[in-house]
Amino acid sequence: MSQHPEVPGDPTATTTSLLEKATASIQRFGPISHIHQHLCAFHFYSHDMTRQVEAHHFCGHLNEEVRQCLIYNSPEPDARLIGIEYIVTETLFDMLPDEEKPMWHSHDYEVKGGYLFMPGIPGPVERQDMEKVAKTYGKTIHFWQVDRGDNLPLGIPQIMFALTREGQLYDELAQDVERRYKVSFAAEKEKRKDIEGPEMGRHPLANGAGKGLQTVLKEVDVKPPSGTTPRVFV
Amino acid sequence: MSTSSDEPAMGAKKVEGAGEPIPPGKPMTMEQHIVDKGAMMLQRLKPMKQISQHGCSFAIYSHDMTRQIETHHYCTRINQDFLQCAVYDSDGSHGRLIGVEYIVSDKTFEALPPDEQKLWHSHAYEIKSGLWVNPRVPEVVVKPELENLAKSYGKFWCTWQLDRGDRLPIGTPALMVSPQGVNMGVPSPELVRTRDLKYNILTEAIRDSRVEIAEPEWLNPMADYWKQHGKGFKIDVEPVDMKLRAPFP
Repeated sequence: MSQHPEVPGDPTATTTSLLEKATASIQRFGPISHIHQHLCAFHFYSHDMTRQVEAHHFCGHLNEEVRQCLIYNSPEPDARLIGIEYIVTETLFDMLPDEEKPMWHSHDYEVKGGYLFMPGIPGPVERQDMEKVAKTYGKTIHFWQVDRGDNLPLGIPQIMFALTREGQLYDELAQDVERRYKVSFAAEKEKRKDIEGPEMGRHPLANGAGKGLQTVLKEVDVKPPSGTTPRVFV
Repeated sequence: MSTSSDEPAMGAKKVEGAGEPIPPGKPMTMEQHIVDKGAMMLQRLKPMKQISQHGCSFAIYSHDMTRQIETHHYCTRINQDFLQCAVYDSDGSHGRLIGVEYIVSDKTFEALPPDEQKLWHSHAYEIKSGLWVNPRVPEVVVKPELENLAKSYGKFWCTWQLDRGDRLPIGTPALMVSPQGVNMGVPSPELVRTRDLKYNILTEAIRDSRVEIAEPEWLNPMADYWKQHGKGFKIDVEPVDMKLRAPFP
């Protein structure tokens, strides 16, 4: 199935696009101007490895140890914003409460397997960053399930994981990306053999602590201010 | 397991005056600066270049309406009926990414299934009251866009609860609702004043200038679920058996 469903709606009106050209030229996009890296990789749903998504990460560093990324389904101008990923060093990951750790995934195999790459970046520069990324952990949330053909962002957020070993990624998906970006995962894998993962090895609580994770929507009472229970909301 | 309504994580008591940087971590090394600058020059980052407006407004946690936050939306239009926005806590270059909001026209919203609609909020009040502003853009320029937005609906997931002092993004995504003119939907005057000072604006004056913007003829009652039902939503995470293709992890 196409992972780029057509969003329903009228073409952007000329007046709207002119207006937005104006706002874009007047406004400063502070946090957006801080995004300076495009990483391509694959995610799968934390409850279903058979649903795999090509994920284009556009990342900015908050400091040396924390990156925040917008995830799109493509690197093109009409890309759909499908999720978010936070990437932290092993040191910061270790500080997370234990009940939080399962929502984070390891990056060592994605790097060593050659699957994580920076489109358009020369090997030696890419390698410098890959050595760092291999030791990090990521927390990825997708809001838009383009892989099942949703033409709008429907339903609740999904926790996503990354590849952790051989045999998980579908060949068709891999080959499609290799062809479009003129990369070879096998060749990269060979070059990255000596890159090392987290100092302490993969944390056993990461990657769902070995289980799948499923998000569930719960209805809760709206918490009223200072313990009063309003009877009427409108 | 974790829920979006957990207590403050990692021992943080509050955001202001805690003295610890958020997030924690070492300063950028020169080496990383060079990699990043090089990447920015060589990579085209096309989706970033499509971002066409910055809106500043406020949002409220659906599961705890006593908690309100200031938001900075950076939005890309996919078509006349659909915007996708990255949401940050500030407009500075080190603004922290706190979530994603999708905005659809009333036409698109009406076609959604009812179970989906209850996750969305209306924008009419936020626009009419002057809470949503496009910083530095003259009102007269942005008016046609405001007329569109007044009829739109949004779905906003917050992934980093900075207001409770989380130094790193902890817990499950939280559904957010929009400010409304009633009850717990009214944003705190202090929060609004802080924002107004930053941009040297007056929300009340902006509200007065927007009287002519048409109120939508009808707001779908499935949106703003809390107003009708007094209920909010939260996301839980449950361990399950993963559908596998190869062993995991």
